[in-house]
Amino acid sequence: MTHPAARLAGVTKHFGATVALGGVDFEVGRGEVHAIVGENGAGKSTLIRILGGVFRPDQGEIFVDGKPCRFASPHDAIAAGIVTIPQELRLVPALSIAENIALGDLPVRRLGPVALVDRARMREEAGAVLAELDFNPDPERRVAALPFAERQLVAIAKALRRRCRIFVLDEPTAALEKREIERLFAVLARMQARGTAIIYISHRLDEVVAIADRCTVLRDGRVAAMRTRGAFSVHDLVATMTGRAAEDVVTAPVPPGKLLLQARPDGATTLALRAREVIGLAGLLGSGAGAMIRRLFGAAHEAVTVEIGGVARRFRHPADAIAAGIGMVPGERALGLVMNLSVRDNILLPNLAASSRYGIIDSAAGDRIVAELMALVDIRPRRPELRAGALSGGNQQKVILAKWLARRIAVLLLDEPTQGIDVAAKAQIHELIRDFVTRGGGALIHSSDLGELARLCDKVLAVRQGRIAATLDRAQGFDEPRLRAAIGG
Amino acid sequence: MQDKSKRLNLAGHMPLISLIVLCAVTALLTDRFLSPLNLTNILVQSSIMAVIAMGMTFVIVGGGFDLSVGSTAALAGCVAAMVMLNAGIAAGVVAGIIVGAAVGFANGLVIAFLGVNPFITTLGTMVLVRGVVFLITGGAPVAGETGLPDAFVAFGSGRFLGIHYLVWVPALLLAALSFVMHATPYGRRIYATGGGREAAYLSGVPVRRVIASTYVWCGALAGVAGVMLAARLQSGQPTAGEFYELTAIAAVVLGGAALQGGEGMLYKSVIGVFIMIVLGNALNLLNVDSYWQRVAVGAVIIAAAAADRLRSGRDR
Repeated sequence: MTHPAARLAGVTKHFGATVALGGVDFEVGRGEVHAIVGENGAGKSTLIRILGGVFRPDQGEIFVDGKPCRFASPHDAIAAGIVTIPQELRLVPALSIAENIALGDLPVRRLGPVALVDRARMREEAGAVLAELDFNPDPERRVAALPFAERQLVAIAKALRRRCRIFVLDEPTAALEKREIERLFAVLARMQARGTAIIYISHRLDEVVAIADRCTVLRDGRVAAMRTRGAFSVHDLVATMTGRAAEDVVTAPVPPGKLLLQARPDGATTLALRAREVIGLAGLLGSGAGAMIRRLFGAAHEAVTVEIGGVARRFRHPADAIAAGIGMVPGERALGLVMNLSVRDNILLPNLAASSRYGIIDSAAGDRIVAELMALVDIRPRRPELRAGALSGGNQQKVILAKWLARRIAVLLLDEPTQGIDVAAKAQIHELIRDFVTRGGGALIHSSDLGELARLCDKVLAVRQGRIAATLDRAQGFDEPRLRAAIGG
Repeated sequence: MQDKSKRLNLAGHMPLISLIVLCAVTALLTDRFLSPLNLTNILVQSSIMAVIAMGMTFVIVGGGFDLSVGSTAALAGCVAAMVMLNAGIAAGVVAGIIVGAAVGFANGLVIAFLGVNPFITTLGTMVLVRGVVFLITGGAPVAGETGLPDAFVAFGSGRFLGIHYLVWVPALLLAALSFVMHATPYGRRIYATGGGREAAYLSGVPVRRVIASTYVWCGALAGVAGVMLAARLQSGQPTAGEFYELTAIAAVVLGGAALQGGEGMLYKSVIGVFIMIVLGNALNLLNVDSYWQRVAVGAVIIAAAAADRLRSGRDR
């Protein structure tokens, strides 16, 4: 009998008290596309990392071609033929396409004792593997000059040359246009025809319905359903994924209060944020929605004019925005925290003046602020002297929130506040944002998790190519598919 | 957990432990090491370098680098001597320090506001400033016809409470500047800027101004060192201070600072200076050939940095 290309049996993974995966069974056959869907935090990324050798499962086994495998590192997974194509591609932009494809296994030619790169063979091999994908660029072109969609194909070609036969594609279409998506699907079909197994992770359920032979739905770290082609539709995938979505919806919208902030983040459309209001910015990767958050915070190159409580202010520097009562949680946590400083120092960083007297830091006052906030936002472990870099992603994000909450700011700007953090921490952060808003603050959130926006926001602005293209109001009702349509995904 | 935190504490004191071990071993190998004369010598030799290393610590903690300190010290020494001959000691001292701060300010502007790489910028100022020193002195030592004022020369060799004036300077500066680094918002902003420039910027820290200011400190302290050097040499020496930048950087790294910024302590950098000076002293006392001394010192610097790297975990 033939074995599936890859199989997971009873895979369990804990992070502290959180169960990221609880006994997941999964398999993908040769020439099959098996999709994995689920909300953020459902366990998709943990599953991908286990397949990719980044994490070791606490329990359960991985089989490749029927043989049990243990991956001690990503290198082992690749050696076993499993390759992950992540959203951020690991290519060297300064090198050519051919060099990138050959990197790590350069063809060499011996000249006596000297090994030289066999450039002709490198080109030839790159050309051959690219042709397999029906993608025929000049292999000497620098990768930096390629659009994202083509870099992605280079990454796939690189893995194919290494004889990887099990591909894990993580949100491969998040940054692609419609035409590019069609080309990617054509490439996947060719790979499939050659017996490659494809594990396809996506938020875009219509794509999943279009290309997947089977689909596994994860919810809270468990397999909520596994269906074969024809037996699932976008509608029932959503129902299976969300499960308890109904109880998550904010009930009884609070009437918004006074105007806190007014600005034109795209230079044209006016955005007005009121007290007790959460506004979402939805957009595809590269739509400019994240850049709008930075601009409103004075962190873009050009200065921005923002009306705060009816008074126009010019922000040239984040310090101006902070002085006006605005805080920002940036998309990458590394940008929000100084990783080698302690949790305490990070929380106090924007608040140094407030915790100083006569230009000297008042340690006791600082300790009080820090202790209060660590308890409020529930940072664990409760050790203020710990390096921020030593905390988990969710706790790091809470530290970033804490440093702004310490200032009693009026407006919170958030860019992907829950990206890559576990379910429990995510729920806590949503709770903190809601608390902040209930107490009279206003929040503007950019997130690529449309479900998150649908749940948290009173209003969502759809951003396309740096412009606010549409405004959707909760009163009109919005859900993920509707938001998806508005942003052009 | 308990064990881990203890181990970390020990790791944090590696520079001090190394210095103590170095002193102990040297004392065992030669009885001249612990003689009062030799110890005084070590203190005096360390004093000028300690002042420069403190300035370098500001820059390195802020995520930068300064190669121009040796030239700046020479310039400050010569300018101080020239002004002193005409306008008195106080004016000379102030002029020397201001000239140093001015060089640092220029470095800071170019690095922080134009975004030029600190290595290249200060390599440029290192050469440029040295040229200026030779231009204004004509290459000859500055001591006037009758020498520098007696009181100034006395400062270079005199003592207060049995300790050389030259040693009091870094001792007092260390106390004052440690306070600035650790107890003022400004000091914490230097650490934040060096440790994560973008994160500091998004927390409202004026990172460019902070970075520029670290070079001003570094230049001003190089100026102080230059004035001390002039007092000790009883003249402004245009060739003084060569390779000081390298010794200072080595001392700061020996003191556990990270060249990528955000880590480092003034007192540890001073310990680093002691390690460098005691090592040289020990090799001298043990009659190690001076060419071999250089080899040994170079190897120690690399070994210290490598040990630090191993301890803080290897990635890649």
